[in-house]
Amino acid sequence: MLKNYLKISWRNLVKNKAHTFINIAGLSLGMAVVMLISLWIYDELSYDKYFKNYDRIVQVMQHQTVNGDVNTGTSIPIPLGAKLRQDYKGDFKYAVLSSWTEPHILSHGDKKLVKDGNFMQPEAPYIFTLNMLRGSRSGLNDPSSILLSSTLAKAIFGDADPMNQIIKIDNQLTVKVTGVYETPPYNTSFSYIHFILPWDLYLTTRPFLKRVQNNWGNNSWQIFALLAPNADINNVDAKIKYIKRDNLKLQGDAFTLSYKPVLFLHPLSKWHLYSDFKNGINTGGKIEFVWMFGIIGLFVLILACINFMNLSTARSEKRAKEVGIRKTLGSMRNQLVGQFFTESLLMAFFAFLFSLMLVQLTLPWFNQVADKRMTLLWSNPWFWLIGIGFTLLTGLLAGSYPAFYLSSFKPVKVLKGTFKAGRFAAVPRKVLVVLQFTVSVTLIIGTIIVFRQVQFTKNRPVGYDRAGLIQAQMKTNDIHSHFDAVKNDLFKSGAIAGIAESDSPLTGVWSNESGFSWRGKPPGLLDDFGIIPVSYDFGKTAEWQLMEGRDFSRSFATDTSTIIVNEAAAKFMNFKHPVGEVIKWEGQNVTIIGEIKDMVMSSPYEPVKPSIFALLPYKGSFINIRLNPKIGTSAALGKIEAVFKQYAPDSPFDYKFTDTEYASKFEDEERIGRLSGFFTVLAIFISCLGLFGMASFMAEQRTKEIGVRKVLGASVMNLWGLMSREFVVLVVISIIIASPVAYYFMQNWIKNYKYHADISWWIFAGTAAGAMLITLLTVSYQGIKSALMNPIKSLRSE
Amino acid sequence: MIKITDLEKFYRTEEVETIALNKLSMEVGTGEFVAIMGPSGCGKSTLLNILGMLDDPDEGSYMFNSIEVAHFNERKRADLRKHNIGFVFQSFNLIDELTVFENVELPLIYTGVPSAERVKRVEEVLDKMQIMHRRNHYPQQLSGGQQQRVAIARAVVNKPKLILADEPTGNLDSSNGNDVMELLTDLNEQGTTIIMVTHSEHDARYSHRIIRLLDGQTVMENIMI
Repeated sequence: MLKNYLKISWRNLVKNKAHTFINIAGLSLGMAVVMLISLWIYDELSYDKYFKNYDRIVQVMQHQTVNGDVNTGTSIPIPLGAKLRQDYKGDFKYAVLSSWTEPHILSHGDKKLVKDGNFMQPEAPYIFTLNMLRGSRSGLNDPSSILLSSTLAKAIFGDADPMNQIIKIDNQLTVKVTGVYETPPYNTSFSYIHFILPWDLYLTTRPFLKRVQNNWGNNSWQIFALLAPNADINNVDAKIKYIKRDNLKLQGDAFTLSYKPVLFLHPLSKWHLYSDFKNGINTGGKIEFVWMFGIIGLFVLILACINFMNLSTARSEKRAKEVGIRKTLGSMRNQLVGQFFTESLLMAFFAFLFSLMLVQLTLPWFNQVADKRMTLLWSNPWFWLIGIGFTLLTGLLAGSYPAFYLSSFKPVKVLKGTFKAGRFAAVPRKVLVVLQFTVSVTLIIGTIIVFRQVQFTKNRPVGYDRAGLIQAQMKTNDIHSHFDAVKNDLFKSGAIAGIAESDSPLTGVWSNESGFSWRGKPPGLLDDFGIIPVSYDFGKTAEWQLMEGRDFSRSFATDTSTIIVNEAAAKFMNFKHPVGEVIKWEGQNVTIIGEIKDMVMSSPYEPVKPSIFALLPYKGSFINIRLNPKIGTSAALGKIEAVFKQYAPDSPFDYKFTDTEYASKFEDEERIGRLSGFFTVLAIFISCLGLFGMASFMAEQRTKEIGVRKVLGASVMNLWGLMSREFVVLVVISIIIASPVAYYFMQNWIKNYKYHADISWWIFAGTAAGAMLITLLTVSYQGIKSALMNPIKSLRSE
Repeated sequence: MIKITDLEKFYRTEEVETIALNKLSMEVGTGEFVAIMGPSGCGKSTLLNILGMLDDPDEGSYMFNSIEVAHFNERKRADLRKHNIGFVFQSFNLIDELTVFENVELPLIYTGVPSAERVKRVEEVLDKMQIMHRRNHYPQQLSGGQQQRVAIARAVVNKPKLILADEPTGNLDSSNGNDVMELLTDLNEQGTTIIMVTHSEHDARYSHRIIRLLDGQTVMENIMI
């Protein structure tokens, strides 16, 4: 019996090639999308699972309240580390202080590399159960040691043994390799940390670190910890909540206390997907995208299944005769149900094979778009189990309606030719088409709004000219100590139009301070300013826009006690004309000499933070260079590198283009936009395949009607209208349903961005017009084809 | 073999009720060859469908081999049908996707005949119908006469006790039509009961008895000599 089912199913597939193609193509595209999305979701959900202590690793974070807004961050003060290590031994198996991940120059012989790494206390490798390929996890106990990732060890030493080799850090510190750990996979929070240096070594690098050992008010470091085996995160949370507050009280630091610090633990399982905090509450983060793509995937699969059902039932009248004959010859209804299920399962199985091929072919591209390194899990039995289970489910789901509908035909009627699907037989099909287009139109509107938001933010005036600017982080003193000579040589070479130092890059604000006072400051107002120490010529190099006053100048000896503020700062201090105002900063009086237009340095989606620019009293972390626009970029870069090599022979010339750095702030949103765009195109394509199938079926069904109308004098245009009208009505209904749905969801999404575009009416109008156009193009081919047919032929076919 | 008593069948639409069979009674004995004739709309085909258990009567009794089947459910009807009745239609009703061999094999599959036995029986009947050389062809590749022979082969392959033929020569030229009638006569001579609906007086002459219907009632019976 099964053989007979398979045989007839196969022949049906082969005989109706177009129908089969539409069905299998649609279904396999749907399956491929679901597979890609599942891989993506799997990858997101397995983030950081590489770490064996996944369930017990935590980071200490804190909430602070500024003028009613709760800010949440990972920076904590140094003495908290010792406190947790000494007084909370029962709660934490390990707790380690860590610096931020920063680039450093690593040199060994002639090899010089700039790589990111951290200074951490010696138990860090135990917390993260680093897989040691050489040496042991105790390697950091020696204060002049370094642990390297296997990738970095290979890059520096090649195939030679790295153990006990000497490496110089930033041309200052000398350390010995005491271990090599397997580089954590890309989907971990540690994939960018290429080496770990001992915390004790860190304390020797900067004198001020000694001073802040007991300062509970300076939040500039991080703490990672491993909970003790029996510790409950909520209990520990409650215990540590007010440690900082209590110690500030002891130290009598009323000012920092006014920020109401509250400590808490953020578990590793939430670092990646739940990283957003709003007003002290964990509001999610990337998990929203997991949900969003999960839902899109489900919808695309439903679209594909709808196609299948629609086309199969649409063709049912053709298969009615077969059903009738089989019933006459003694087939039971369940045997027919079995036959139609065999057919749908066979098709689902082919679709599964095709979807595997499609995924294999598109994965490299998809990885690029999604910024992932996913692979098909060929050798994972779960993959096959789920894949095949999913194929069966799809086959059964897609085949259920045709199976039960077709098998219910009465043989007498179909064999006598009196069988005609009733007036309402097409209603379910129409509902399904409406559902398909509702999903597609919603996706189109959503994608347009995402892209528009990105574009809108990209076009936001940034307050300086980022084209032709490069920035280089300075890890050594070489350039700073010869700054004037470097500057002269660079100008002489004709490579640059400006050069200046700063302590933050132009694409970030790395330092914040509070406790300023100014004329008319309301009592109790908490302030928080971005601080950007810069050298002379910074403004000229960045081409910032002065609104009033002047730039820093060497001609004024007093400029070391002056500042320049941005518009946001002037507004915050409530100064219409800030120039000349005197501000008290760390007990010193400083005078505002200029006000500049807001420069977008942090998130382009957020309002610009009130910021203060002051002259650098020491070496800046960054050198900003404006390339001479009159010569080519590569020529200019060559000349700059030559000069840098002359003054800093031991540092690689490691620079970044400011506009590229700025553009990277849009990566997440652009990636989401591209992904949803990709899925939208597929959803539309699948819906159109279905529409095309339906149109060809309708044309076939109405051949006689068209013939009669033509004989009676209908023009091709009349007939085209007749054939298209029905579909246009369905799409209009879809648009009417989809528009408010899309508006509701996108309104909620866009509200997350303080700087955002409006959701304009033209997005909806444009989408409606586009959907209509696509519909007409899809159905017109069949409509016109049947309208052009010789009526004699169509009438004879009855 | 067949005894129907006061059989009634109505067709209802929203406004009109049409009587297709009006208290019709008749009997057909085993081994008979009966022709049913009458103008269009007299209820011939309705009768044949009820006899073939493809349709239910609204009123009356239908005894098949002394079993009351008038109100059997679909499952029981299908079961009785596949073991006892073969159908031959005017428009052949072969499945286009199956070859000649497979079309003829189908009833045997539904009655659960083992594969080897099926091959034997299909080949036997194809041979008898002189269509063996076309066994691997599809219906569209055959002439009308050949298609009807396949349909008859399919109807008899299960060795049914009764063959119901609905205008079996209606789509054939006279020469092919005569061939089909000869085949049916042969089957009848071998013991199969045949009930045939026809418009053709010529074909009706092959039968033993002609029942003439009008407005769902028997108006005349002719015994052929």
